Amino acid sequence: MSQKSRMAPKPDPQSASNVAAADAAAAQFSMDPFFHILKLVPFSFLRPPRLRLKLPSFSLPSAMTVFSLILLTYFMVVSGFIYDVIVEPPGIGSTQDPATGAVRPVVFLPGRVNGQYIIEGLSSGFMFVLGGIGIVLLDLALDKNRARSIKVSYSIAGISSIVIAYVMTTLFVRIKIPGYLR
Amino acid sequence: MAAVANMPVSDLLKSFKLKTKQQELLIRVSILCLVYILAFITRLFSVLRYESMIHEFDPYFNYRTTLYLTQNGFYDFWNWFDYESWYPLGRIVGGTLYPGLMVTAALIYRILHFLRFAVHIREVCVLTAPFFASNTTLVAYFFGKEIWDTGAGLVAAILIAVCPGYISRSVAGSYDNEGVAIFALLFTFYLFVKAVNTGSLAWSLASAFGYFYMVSAWGGYVFIINLIPLYVLVLLITGRYSMRLYVAYNCMYVLGMLLAMQIRFVGFQHVQSGEHMAAMGVFFLMQVFYFLDWVKHMLSDTKLFQAFLRITVTCAVAVGTIALGLGMLSGYISPWTGRFYSLLDPTYAKDHIPIIASVSEHQPTAWSSFMFDFHILLFLFPAGLYFCFKRLSDATIFIVMYGLTSMYFAGVMVRLILVATPAVCLISAIAVSATVKNLTVLLRSKNKGVQTGSTKGSSSSKASSKALLDQSQPFQKNGAIALLFGAFYLLSKYATHCTWVTSEAYSSPSIVLAARGAHGSRVIFDDYREAYFWLRQNTPPDAKVMSWWDYGYQITAMGNRTVIVDNNTWNNTHIATVGRAMSSYEDEAIEIMRSLDVDYVLVVFGGVTGYSSDDINKFLWMVRIGGGVFPVIKEPDYLVNGEYRVDKGAAPKMLNCLMYKLCYYRFGEMLTEYGKPPGYDRARGVEIGNKDIKLEHLEEAFTTSNWIVRIYKVKPPNNRW
Repeated sequence: MSQKSRMAPKPDPQSASNVAAADAAAAQFSMDPFFHILKLVPFSFLRPPRLRLKLPSFSLPSAMTVFSLILLTYFMVVSGFIYDVIVEPPGIGSTQDPATGAVRPVVFLPGRVNGQYIIEGLSSGFMFVLGGIGIVLLDLALDKNRARSIKVSYSIAGISSIVIAYVMTTLFVRIKIPGYLR
Repeated sequence: MAAVANMPVSDLLKSFKLKTKQQELLIRVSILCLVYILAFITRLFSVLRYESMIHEFDPYFNYRTTLYLTQNGFYDFWNWFDYESWYPLGRIVGGTLYPGLMVTAALIYRILHFLRFAVHIREVCVLTAPFFASNTTLVAYFFGKEIWDTGAGLVAAILIAVCPGYISRSVAGSYDNEGVAIFALLFTFYLFVKAVNTGSLAWSLASAFGYFYMVSAWGGYVFIINLIPLYVLVLLITGRYSMRLYVAYNCMYVLGMLLAMQIRFVGFQHVQSGEHMAAMGVFFLMQVFYFLDWVKHMLSDTKLFQAFLRITVTCAVAVGTIALGLGMLSGYISPWTGRFYSLLDPTYAKDHIPIIASVSEHQPTAWSSFMFDFHILLFLFPAGLYFCFKRLSDATIFIVMYGLTSMYFAGVMVRLILVATPAVCLISAIAVSATVKNLTVLLRSKNKGVQTGSTKGSSSSKASSKALLDQSQPFQKNGAIALLFGAFYLLSKYATHCTWVTSEAYSSPSIVLAARGAHGSRVIFDDYREAYFWLRQNTPPDAKVMSWWDYGYQITAMGNRTVIVDNNTWNNTHIATVGRAMSSYEDEAIEIMRSLDVDYVLVVFGGVTGYSSDDINKFLWMVRIGGGVFPVIKEPDYLVNGEYRVDKGAAPKMLNCLMYKLCYYRFGEMLTEYGKPPGYDRARGVEIGNKDIKLEHLEEAFTTSNWIVRIYKVKPPNNRW
């Protein structure tokens, strides 16, 4: 049913000429009223040049291409991208040390659950995606059609990704919310 | 009997031994029963800590309407005009609410009374949400079974039973539309996916009725009526058109639309509103597809059919665009309303509609809110998407679309994490189930090691690798066991996190405040209810109370007095009038109050307790909303260098406006904290600027024990002067 996915525009001159050339052997019979109108109005006295152009045919992307695009979008949503666009927090916060007067950077916005700086959002989002990819790598490692060394390296990479992602995420939450799990 | 006693014990046990299929059924049923009970009891924290009462603001309106429904019957409820709120306008309750929740609670109440359990309607209302949460876990099990397999269904039920994103709006006491609506949402989706998978008319009819229940329960039904057409469109684009899809969508759309029009609040929106036009467009597109399929079946000439296809598609698209354009231009089809348009363009509300922008639930989501509400599901979600993409089918395409669209909307508005929760739980369940299945397959492969080595892949068919395979068997099995323990550890951490979040963050009835005292003991502030009961018992029955719209529902439900504005916020000018009164000097405000017949004014003040959600912190929104309608009120008048202050350096208009005077009356003599001067505001952390406040047209009627709620009486105009 892939022909249904092509939205047919008004037949442009090139395709009209191609159709005409292809139908030259056939009895020049076409049901298409636009074709007949165009044959009459400009193209009875205009001669289109011979070009070798093809209508771009678009095929649906593969499932894994779509999946990687979706992973990218997921990263943006989960790192609070929309929050960044609307509330426009600074990239990183700063506080002044009361004793020395020096300005120190503050990575995690303290005090509220629903607030962030841009960098903390992006790093947390990266950790989430890393954890997800770790599980995907584990599944790839268990696929039997690969060389053993690749399977081993995939499984090591997968396990370490998951462990790192989980540990870092828990660390981030503990820094952000001081009373976490107490 | 004697024969049974004569049998040896081992034979007796053997007669009870179940076959594997029965064992599996027993395990499944017992897991589901345990999950059902778990989902109910994890939501009972606030009932056990405080008492069985309704939380927050909106549920009080729902409670009041349910009370009216049980006392007066359905027809009086459906035609109810409420003259006790929005004085002097009144409110047509029957036509401006979603009756699903109230009718459900009233039905449960009637059933319990029929069975001679004489419970009070308040108990039924408090426990409706946990009951429906338990039902949601069952629906999640069946949905998981439909999408993937029974293992995924069980994991989905467990995950959704404790997920904080869902618990936040369905604790016991949170008697709000969402408690019932999420059940209706998941149920409708399950029925529709079942209908698409089987192509049966019965399932399609069931999904139409499920949609009707959803429309009656919550305004978020717009999500269903846009997601399902989008899903159908994606199926058409990916070439999965089939007769099953045709039957399912047509039946659901037509019947669902007709049923939805029975709800007065929805009315004819399904044919008139821009938000519902996608469904209609896809409906007509389906007819075009069916027509083309039929023509292709009749025609034998493919070239002819190609030409016919092109003409038909062009004409259909052109006709559709012209019809839509005509509809929008003539105004018959209304454009997207502000609430839903701000989901597509999040910056819209900030610039144009301050009331929507002021609600804290409508803020966009930061990463920590996601982490709080989902924990490890955030890792499992992309993995689950990967598994779905590996095994694409009609059902998995649906759950992927549901997950992605709901996650996007959850990113735009914190409140919508609730809608994303079922999708995230289901997709995560697929990841867990598939990973655990892979690992257990490794564990169980001990005897078949030699055969699988020879049948699988070319690279492992060498003789040497067979020996390697045998060598690595115990290593693989140990690794698989270790990974299974790791998965178990992660899931148990998830359960711990969810229980902690539920207990600490989501189980507070906002009407009763709690704080830790000096020695760690818990101090309870019950000031709100104290004030409302004072109103109920000490004011004339026809007294009118002016307050900010947040407290309207509670005052009407518990204080039983008429209010000027309440949480329905349907009339922005009326709210702006109240905002203007609160931000003006006392002489101007008294004119407004006299024109509205106000007898009492109620303000919430957190300076003594350090309560930060009081009216002084909300004051700038009153100024903005009032200034949006009455340009007399200008926000810069109340700020000093763009900063909002209440101390000595505050703007003079701020120090003399009605809200300031009412909140800080007699506060200048109050000692709130050791070592600080009198009049120290603990919520703002400053000493107030204007301590000597004299009220001319109002007098203090009541202040609660912790000064949180303060009620003032409007004095009648002077007789002689």
